[in-house]
Order: sequence, then C-alpha cells, then structure tokens
Amino acid sequence: MKVIELKNIVKTYPGVEALKGISFAVEKGSIHGFLGPNGAGKTTSMSIIAGLSSPTSGQVFINGKELGREKSPIGFLPETPPLYEQMKVFDYLKFVAEINNVARSELSCRVLEIGKKCGLTKVMQRLIGNLSKGYRQRVGIAQALVFDPEIVILDEPTVGLDPNSIMEIRELITSLKKDHTIMFSTHQLHEANLICSHITIINHGIILQSGPIGEIGKSLKNRQVIRAVVRDWQIIEPAMVLSEIKDLFPCDNVEIKKLDGQTELKFIAETDDDLRPSVSAYLLQKNCGLLSFTEEGMDLEEIFKRVAGQ
Amino acid sequence: MGFSRGIWILYKKEVKDYFLSPLVYILTGLYSLIIGWLFFNYLVASKDLTTANLSQSILIPLFGNMNFIFLFLAPLLTMKVFAEEKKLGTLNLLLRSGLTDWQIIFGKYFATFTVTVFMISMTFLFPIILGFSGYHDWGLVISCYLGLFFCLLSYLAVGMFVSSITSNQIIAAILSFSILLGFMLMVFSVNATHLSLVRDLFQYLSVPFHFEGFVRGAIKNFNILYFFCFSGMFLYMTRKSLESRYW
Ligand SMILES: Nc1ncnc2c1ncn2[C@@H]1O[C@H](COP(=O)(O)OP(=O)(O)O)[C@@H](O)[C@H]1O
Ligand SMILES: [Mg+2]
Repeated sequence: MKVIELKNIVKTYPGVEALKGISFAVEKGSIHGFLGPNGAGKTTSMSIIAGLSSPTSGQVFINGKELGREKSPIGFLPETPPLYEQMKVFDYLKFVAEINNVARSELSCRVLEIGKKCGLTKVMQRLIGNLSKGYRQRVGIAQALVFDPEIVILDEPTVGLDPNSIMEIRELITSLKKDHTIMFSTHQLHEANLICSHITIINHGIILQSGPIGEIGKSLKNRQVIRAVVRDWQIIEPAMVLSEIKDLFPCDNVEIKKLDGQTELKFIAETDDDLRPSVSAYLLQKNCGLLSFTEEGMDLEEIFKRVAGQ
Repeated sequence: MGFSRGIWILYKKEVKDYFLSPLVYILTGLYSLIIGWLFFNYLVASKDLTTANLSQSILIPLFGNMNFIFLFLAPLLTMKVFAEEKKLGTLNLLLRSGLTDWQIIFGKYFATFTVTVFMISMTFLFPIILGFSGYHDWGLVISCYLGLFFCLLSYLAVGMFVSSITSNQIIAAILSFSILLGFMLMVFSVNATHLSLVRDLFQYLSVPFHFEGFVRGAIKNFNILYFFCFSGMFLYMTRKSLESRYW
C-alpha cells in the first residue's frame, strides 16, 4: 500500500526549477531512502510532502487522500531541527505533544517513552540550548515522533554528526520500522544501503530510480563485471586482451592487476547477456591456471555513479 | 483540542519565554522609572489637592505619557513574536501542529498583552497614592486604564503583523514603530487641511483621538469600535501573512 504518492510534482522558485515533474511512491512500513547530492531537490520535495510549501503543479496523496491545506499527520524533522533553545527537553517534547492533540492524561508518559526510545532520558531536564549537536538532533527526531504519527519524514538526520551519533541515529531509525513508515533523505549511498528497504534517487529535480533496493540494483544489471584471478598470465596490455576477445564476446573494458604471483583480471561489459560462459571458455582456452572466478555485484556507490552519469 | 485550550497551551509557553528573558525586566524597570519620575514631578507641581485638579494636573498628562512611551516599547516586545520563530524554523512546528492560525495568533497576542500589563503594574500604585490625599474619581481612573489597554492591544496587533512579514527582528521593530508613529501623527496633520471631511477622517483614524475620549472619561461607542476594528484588522492581516506560506 502506498502511504505517500507524488504525481508529477513541479516546483519552481524564481529562476530555478527545483523539481521538474517528479513522481514516486512510498510503501507502507518501509524505510524509504531519498537519495541525491546537494541541491538535488530533496528538501524541496520533503517540505511539499510535509505540507510546508505547495507545489507549482502536481499532486501529493497521503494515504490515498490528496494533500490540501488541512494539516497532514506526518512527523517531520526539517534540515535544522525546530528547537526552542530556552526550553527543557521534557517541556519542549510535552509542548509539541500538546499542540499535536495528544490527550492530556497521556502527555507525560508519552514524552518519557519517546525520550527513552531516542536516548534522551539523561538529558530530559537540561536546556535544549546547552545540548550537543547529536542530542539536539535526537530531540529533533523525538519531536517528530512524540505524537505517534504513522508517517515520519526526516531530512538528512545524520548530517554533520560525529560517527557515534550517526550509528545511534541509524539504529534508532531502523528500530522505528515496526510502528512507522519512514522516509529520510541522505546524500550518502552507503547510508541508504545500510538501513533502507526502498530508495528513490533524485538529481537535478528529476527522479532517476525508485523502488525496492534489490530491484534497483537488478535493473542496472546491464553492466557486468567479472573478476577472475589466474596464476599464469603474460599479457599486461589490456588493449591486447581486448583485441583477442573482440570476436569471442562483447566486452568494453579489461582491467589487469598484478598481485604477488597472481593476476587479477576484470572484464567489464555493458550488456544484458550473461558473459560468464564466454569468459570462462576464453580463460580455459588460454590455459592460464584459473584460481577464482566471480561476478561482482554492484553496490549503491556504483549504482549512483552510473545513474547520475546517465 | 478546544479553541481556548489551544490558545492556553501556547499562551503558557509564550509567557514563560518572555519572563525568562531579561528584556522584559529591563523594559519594565525603565518604564517604571520614567513614569514614577513623571508622577513625582506632577505631584510636586500640583498645589491644590482637589479631585478635579488632581485629574487635570496629574492623571490626564500621566496617562498620556504612559501611552506615548509604549509607542517605543511595544515594537520591542512584538518584534520577535514571529520573526524569531521564522528564523529558527520553529514557526513551521506551530503551523504544522494541531493549532489553527487563529489559536497561534491569539496565544501570542494575549501573552504579549500580559507582559505589557505586567510592565504597567507598578503604576497601579499611583491612584492609591492619590487616594490618600482625598482623590476619589475612580471612574476616571478605570476609564484611563481601559483606554490604555485598548491602545496597547492596538500597538501589539500592529507589531505582530509586522513581525509576521519579516524574519529580521530589527526591521520588525523599526517598521512597527513607524506605522504606530504614523497613526499617532495623523492627529497633527488634521490642522494641515481645511477640508472638513479629510480632517474628520484623519482625526477618526488616529489613535490618540480615541484615547483622548477615555482619558477625559467620556467613552463613546465609536471609540471602542475603533480599537476593535484597528486591532482586528491587523490581526486579520497577520493571519493572511501566516497563510501566505502556501503561495
Ligand atoms: N527558497 C528557495 N528559493 C530559491 N531556490 C531554492 C529555494 N530552496 C531551494 N532552492 C533551490 O532548489 C534546488 C533544490 O534545493 P533543495 O531541495 O534544498 O536540495 P537538497 O535538499 O537536495 O540539497 C537548489 O538548486 C536550490 O538552490
Ligand atoms: Mg536539503
């Protein structure tokens, strides 16, 4: 089921077309990574979904209902957490819960529960203005969760934090999966790879890919990388290998690396055909003492480089 | 969440914020000092201690000054109301919450009004002091305070509107002061024209003209109506400005 659906969203700022007609959907119960370099349009898209700005054209559906001017029940952490420095963490979270219609009888216990979830128990009575960046970010996340919204949107929740905080916040996001649908933006592919079940890749206001993380990898499978390690190899010029195999099977590039006593060969081809039989036949025919033979899957880093380059 | 409950939640927070910052105490101290000094001087200068005389020589000029000083102070109180929240990004927290725009506006409006009442609270002593010397026109005292409150509510409404259109507090303060001064000066431009219609219009639009009615103890319906319309218009414009986030 789609909890968030964008249809052909265009957003123009004076002189800039930040979103050029983007469409994608977020599935219920998923952790949806929204991936793109700086200036891609992530924040713009997310604030439209959160109801903070209206698109120039296009529609947003939240749980099948078109987003209008009425307030959407979405927990939202903007790029800079909306914090009142002069308030104590407990009072702040209680205030946010109160203005978001949490019943008066539940307030305190809800705040304590969220505080615990977000690792804030120790700092509940401290002023927000005195907290470290990592804690402030956690208060920001707690603020988005405290009224128990079904959908939670986090705009670059780990940016600018120290490695420990990053790990903890990633764990926190993963732990939210049980009860919420989460969409978060990041410009780190590695991060999306770690915690997301779905991703949407955006660049220059255009959606490049969107879907389950596995499928996106697969849809880009038209590039094959076959890695072979052999014992006896004389040719060091990739061009010579290429000319040898030119008639046997399609291959765009060959990389040759000498490792102590062994040689690593990489055959890279832009094709949907499976090259493994052809490559192995070629290597056997060379009688070079094949030690290992693997197909390398592409990780997100590579996917992104490729998608962005298209 | 009921309408007044929403206002109350925000009101509590805002009042607490105001009283946590030193600004309120500094302004209150300054205000009390100036008004106390004026009161003392008027008191020393007045020779006859009849009630009519005390009203003329102390109460009326004193309230004129109490009102006038807020022309400068009100913009300092209201400048941060929306401008600061815009800058910090917290305004969106309120706008996205279960609070309606009107609840946000009234919560903040009443909170700043509470602060101004706190600021003038020291002056409640003056009528009591006058009472010791036999002063007893309490109706006029109440009327003066009523007029002052209405003026304050008008100033705050202007300040809130201006604060809602900028995220720069300094600009907010200067702009709302200019607007308030404009309404104040209208009464002087009355003499600059011979057209009675224009004169009446200018006079009717200016704040001091209506305040005067209260201070003379002659409150007319249209004086009260004027203040309601004046504040109402600026609060309405504030709402429009908050809404403009959708544009
Ligand atoms: N308020 C704005 N006014 C004008 N241009 C803007 C505004 N906000 C964003 N942009 C432009 O829109 C594009 C997308 O920005 P943004 O959504 O913030 O990207 P991201 O969050 O992916 O880094 C950028 O080119 C940015 O300069
Ligand atoms: Mg951004």
